[in-house]
Amino acid sequence: MKKLLLPYLIGLVALVFLPFGVTFALAFTEYDLINPPVWLGTGNFAELWGDGIFRTALKNSLVFAAIAVPLRLILALALALLLHRRAFLGGTGTTVAALPAAIPEIAYGLLWLWLFNPLYGPINQFLAGSDGLTVFGRTPPGWLTLPNDARAGIIIMSVFTMGEMFVILVAARRALPGDAYELAAIEDATGWDIFRRVTLPLMAAPVGLLLVRDTILSLQLSFTPALVVTNGGPPPYATTYLSLFVYRNAFEYLRYGYAAAATVIMLLLTVAAVAVQWRLLSSRRL
Amino acid sequence: MAGLKLDRVHAAFGINGVDLSVGEDELLVVLGPSGAGKTTLLRVVAGLLPVASGTVHIGDRDVTRLRPGLRNVSMVFQSYALFPHLTVADNIAFGLIVKDVPKAEARERTAKAAATIGCEHLLDRKPFQLSGGERQRVALARALVREPDVFLLDEPMSNLDLELRVETRAEIKALHRRVGGTMVHVTHDQTEALVMGDRIAVMRDGLLEQLGTPEKIWNEPATTFVARFVGSPAMNLLPGDGPVRPPDLFPEPAWLIGFRPEAVVLGQAGDPLGSVTRVDVVGEDSYVYLSVGEHSVVARVPTAQRPHAGAAIRVGVRRPSVHLFDAATGRRT
Repeated sequence: MKKLLLPYLIGLVALVFLPFGVTFALAFTEYDLINPPVWLGTGNFAELWGDGIFRTALKNSLVFAAIAVPLRLILALALALLLHRRAFLGGTGTTVAALPAAIPEIAYGLLWLWLFNPLYGPINQFLAGSDGLTVFGRTPPGWLTLPNDARAGIIIMSVFTMGEMFVILVAARRALPGDAYELAAIEDATGWDIFRRVTLPLMAAPVGLLLVRDTILSLQLSFTPALVVTNGGPPPYATTYLSLFVYRNAFEYLRYGYAAAATVIMLLLTVAAVAVQWRLLSSRRL
Repeated sequence: MAGLKLDRVHAAFGINGVDLSVGEDELLVVLGPSGAGKTTLLRVVAGLLPVASGTVHIGDRDVTRLRPGLRNVSMVFQSYALFPHLTVADNIAFGLIVKDVPKAEARERTAKAAATIGCEHLLDRKPFQLSGGERQRVALARALVREPDVFLLDEPMSNLDLELRVETRAEIKALHRRVGGTMVHVTHDQTEALVMGDRIAVMRDGLLEQLGTPEKIWNEPATTFVARFVGSPAMNLLPGDGPVRPPDLFPEPAWLIGFRPEAVVLGQAGDPLGSVTRVDVVGEDSYVYLSVGEHSVVARVPTAQRPHAGAAIRVGVRRPSVHLFDAATGRRT
């Protein structure tokens, strides 16, 4: 039996532990792929600390995670509770909700590049009246040109790719026992009470798991949109997230050591966020 | 307290016109095989299933179109339906909490219901820390706490082992005597029905087959179905002009003669000869399976007096212990 684990173990070592070890080691060096690495000690981390771009990227990533993760989860849960029944148009609704997650990321990004276009993009055409202003009398969002609007745009893009979470939550909702709801009906629990006292607690395990997992993924989620749609801008660094920061330093500026150091910080952040959530969830365990 | 009345109720999933009235302090047991519509009937009373036609009254309130929460009924589910994330106290108080009963009052009523059932020592536990019997008590306490007009119990004992079941059915009956109220208890266990019910409603294919006291159901089964469903082994049913019949009964081919295994007389001269095909020893008693001509007869005899398999033996029955049914309709004549 133990031998059967070997291929997995080899894969784990070669594809996860080894790169991780190399990254961790590189974080303390200067390395440009051509010359051999030069030991810097904590020099990279000290430079990161003083790097304004890194700080911007860090802040952007944290804000993105703090808003996008709950939004994705809430939307996935709401749609799952709406569409879990086998009803008229339910199948169509399920497909529509799950589909964006199945589109390749680059294609998805290019699609939004068109959707967000300030002049002929359908979103702003829909938002703007004949006078070129929205119903609130302001100019439509400059998705690709204004910093906050661009950050909102990246979050909006990420929200619609919650298809996989949605599918998991539909399955989780369908697995809940029917008699719990029948009991709630007999005890005359109203819709909100049923959600708060029956559905949510009974689905706590999958919801909590998805929250933790999505937090881990959130640092990567923003990468492709930021690269394809906003290119890290509007200038200077409105949508430069940690992942894009690492990518730029490693593959454009050939500063592998510096990028590795930022990656290590990213990892520590993720571990910290997950640890906090894990504690919160465990304290509410059954 | 109220009482329950069903008037020509039809519903989906096989309720085909049920008339039934349960007294205000009565424990009615609904008995029937799987698929007879017992649980469906309970769900119709609770309002979980809509009525297609007919009416449901609780007391003098017509609740036919009322949603479950407004009927003032409570239900104990076969699975107990306890919430795993809530303590026993919160599970019991669930109905009070969602109805916004003040906290202090809810706590007091929860403690009282728990004390009535005898689970007050469990209040701080979570359901996963309870045994099957304890879970069942908590479900009962939850049904009790709102002081409903009608208690509905959907096979609450089917997940308990035999010893606990025997104990629990006595307890539920005693509980009913203490707190009163209209109680409808669904089961497929005929012993449970005979022991617990003030009256028993035997169901088959979505219809009431017979409604009566346990004595009546046992001594005067209205149909061959009731006759065979209640009692173990099942009652023997033979043609009226068949081989085994009381000597003083005039043979009538349009009849079926029914007699319980206890009523079979073995080894009396003058009775027809049969042969023993199998003997099952069940402790004190033994079930003797006989074939008489082309018919099969089961007899229940003290184990000490059991014949051996393969033996030839005379098989008879006497007049007072036979039931006569119309062979065409299955009804008692």
